Amino acid sequence: MDLSRPETTARNDRAPWLTLKTREMLEAWLFVSPTVIGFLIFFLGPLVAVVYFSMTEWNLLSQKATFVGLDNFNDTLFKNPDFWHVVRNSVVFAIGLVPLNMALALTLALALSRPFFGVVFFRTVFFAPVITSAIAWAIVWKFLLQGEGGVINQMLALVGITGPNWLREPNWAMAAVIVTRVIKMVGLNMILYIAALQAVPRDYEEAARLEGASRWQVFTMVIWPLLAPTTLVILVITTIGSFKVFDHIYQMTGGGPENGTLVLAFYIYQQGFKFFNVGYAAALAMIMFVIVMALTLIQVWIRRRGTQ
Amino acid sequence: MADVVLKDIRKQFGATEIIRGVDLTVDEGEFAVFVGPSGCGKSTLLRMISGLEDVSSGELHIGGRRMNDVQAAKRGVGMVFQSYALYPHLNVRDNMGFGLKVRKVPVDERDRRVREAAATLKLDALLDRYPRQLSGGQRQRVAIGRAIVGSPDVFLFDEPLSNLDAELRVHMRSEIAALHNRLKTTMIYVTHDQIEAMTLADKIVVLRDGLVEQIGSPRDLYEKPNNVFVAQFIGSPRMNLLPAAEAKLISPTHALPASAVSVGVRPEHLRVVEPTTDSLSATVTLNEYTGAVTLMHVELPGGQTCLVVDDKRDMPPIGTRIGLTADKDNLHFFDADGRAVS
Ligand SMILES: Nc1ncnc2c1ncn2[C@@H]1O[C@H](COP(=O)(O)OP(=O)(O)OP(=O)(O)O)[C@@H](O)[C@H]1O
Ligand SMILES: [Mg+2]
Repeated sequence: MDLSRPETTARNDRAPWLTLKTREMLEAWLFVSPTVIGFLIFFLGPLVAVVYFSMTEWNLLSQKATFVGLDNFNDTLFKNPDFWHVVRNSVVFAIGLVPLNMALALTLALALSRPFFGVVFFRTVFFAPVITSAIAWAIVWKFLLQGEGGVINQMLALVGITGPNWLREPNWAMAAVIVTRVIKMVGLNMILYIAALQAVPRDYEEAARLEGASRWQVFTMVIWPLLAPTTLVILVITTIGSFKVFDHIYQMTGGGPENGTLVLAFYIYQQGFKFFNVGYAAALAMIMFVIVMALTLIQVWIRRRGTQ
Repeated sequence: MADVVLKDIRKQFGATEIIRGVDLTVDEGEFAVFVGPSGCGKSTLLRMISGLEDVSSGELHIGGRRMNDVQAAKRGVGMVFQSYALYPHLNVRDNMGFGLKVRKVPVDERDRRVREAAATLKLDALLDRYPRQLSGGQRQRVAIGRAIVGSPDVFLFDEPLSNLDAELRVHMRSEIAALHNRLKTTMIYVTHDQIEAMTLADKIVVLRDGLVEQIGSPRDLYEKPNNVFVAQFIGSPRMNLLPAAEAKLISPTHALPASAVSVGVRPEHLRVVEPTTDSLSATVTLNEYTGAVTLMHVELPGGQTCLVVDDKRDMPPIGTRIGLTADKDNLHFFDADGRAVS
């Protein structure tokens, strides 16, 4: 036997049925399949369905869907004054909520990012509302904000102020849902900001201090620019979240008074599940999707330009 | 330019005292190096001088002024951090000019001083780059440049070279030495690398557990260490330490000091001879050839191991019985407490 040519050569030369690459591919697909399947069934499926529904006239009661092309969009955008009122409400809600939420979140994070006695307690206090049920939260606030005998107004009365009937006057109702929503959700952004602040090396601040920077200068010239990526993420998710607000409105005002807090997500719900105009609701949902997508892209674009 | 004087400086973190009474004078224009094992308090001491850490007790004077309660920014010190602390969102120019900007120095003066410092450090071509676009050595230079721009009276360096690879470290070491020569500013430099300490320092401060073990020129510390710790800390490879009785064999003419219990002799001072009755006999256990020198490990009859450094190519092979001797001037005697005796 010729030892210099091992017999195994022949076997090695034959291409195996499963190459290493194929096998790795199969394994990879196997591992991601639960997520992929979930994504297809629970996300992509409904999304495609909504696109289709948005082009039908389908009253849930009649069980009959008729294809109407872009009529629903045409009706919404050009023939329905309610729609623009609702969009305006959503925009007011977002403009009120997003800056307030972010400013408060950053302030809390700056105060709570460094360890001190009791810091965990305070973080917990501000984060707890995030994980409480939105419905429970709204019920409690509805109770506190009652016009007569509400706790808030009783406290105001102590300092001689007669509080309004918060949830019964359109402008106050909007302010009330914004503020109570901010208090509920601010903890989440606070945690994101705390994480980002803790990732800023201590040396940065010390080097700046040594060079004579005041606390304010350290913040504006070093910390804030370094937080930019986090700020963008928070801006995007908070804006999206504010356009999607539903349970809060549902419980506290039901869209009233005088449709003063009737926001887009709630309007979609009303159309779909109260008036059973499924096709019309689907078209509204598509429009909301486009609005949110556009806002996100604008924010990302601004950020890109900022770094160049 | 200023001198730095520490009088019985102490630092407590909670209940533990980390710096336990340090007295030290760094003269104007001097290059002082703090060395010591990890955790001995080098950084803490440096940060106390900079003002980033307050002084628990004792007196700190810079340029004749008591600095205990003076803000860090007003002490006239510039610091180079181990991490460089360069701001990732600012380019080299803005990083270097940061201190001037916060102090509201006019733009054209700021620009002039940044360009001056950049020229000193050969950073001219890099001014518009961001830290992430620089190599380790370039970042290091920017960090130094940033300190220079503020024209401080005292430069403080905390292990500035420890993130660089060996070759670059040697190069930057010589650049820092050259910089000191040019600027003639007082510099205090922390390292745990004793070669860095030896090559850079006018004055070395050996620290251990928050106390000064010895202060002196590199040569003082090498030739006349105060105690076993300094003797073994300074010099590479470290000094051999043997029972004092062996001294007779290493250097027969030497009279043994009365209180000596151990004798130290540096590996580079041992000479290999034929084994005789008046030399220290040993058996070769390992030869490490490094090119310039060979490190020979030997075992003594008592079982201790001992290191010999020689620049000869051909060392006796493993297993050979050899004799070792040294000049009497190269022996160091220590008493039972590890203090040097003569
Ligand atoms: N802020 C602090 N709080 C409590 N202990 C500290 C603090 N800073 C430092 N220490 C302790 O002080 C001791 C000295 O620390 P220091 O950083 O000065 O050591 P070092 O000599 O610089 O060490 P290395 O060579 O590892 O950098 C260490 O035991 C450390 O744990
Ligand atoms: Mg240190």
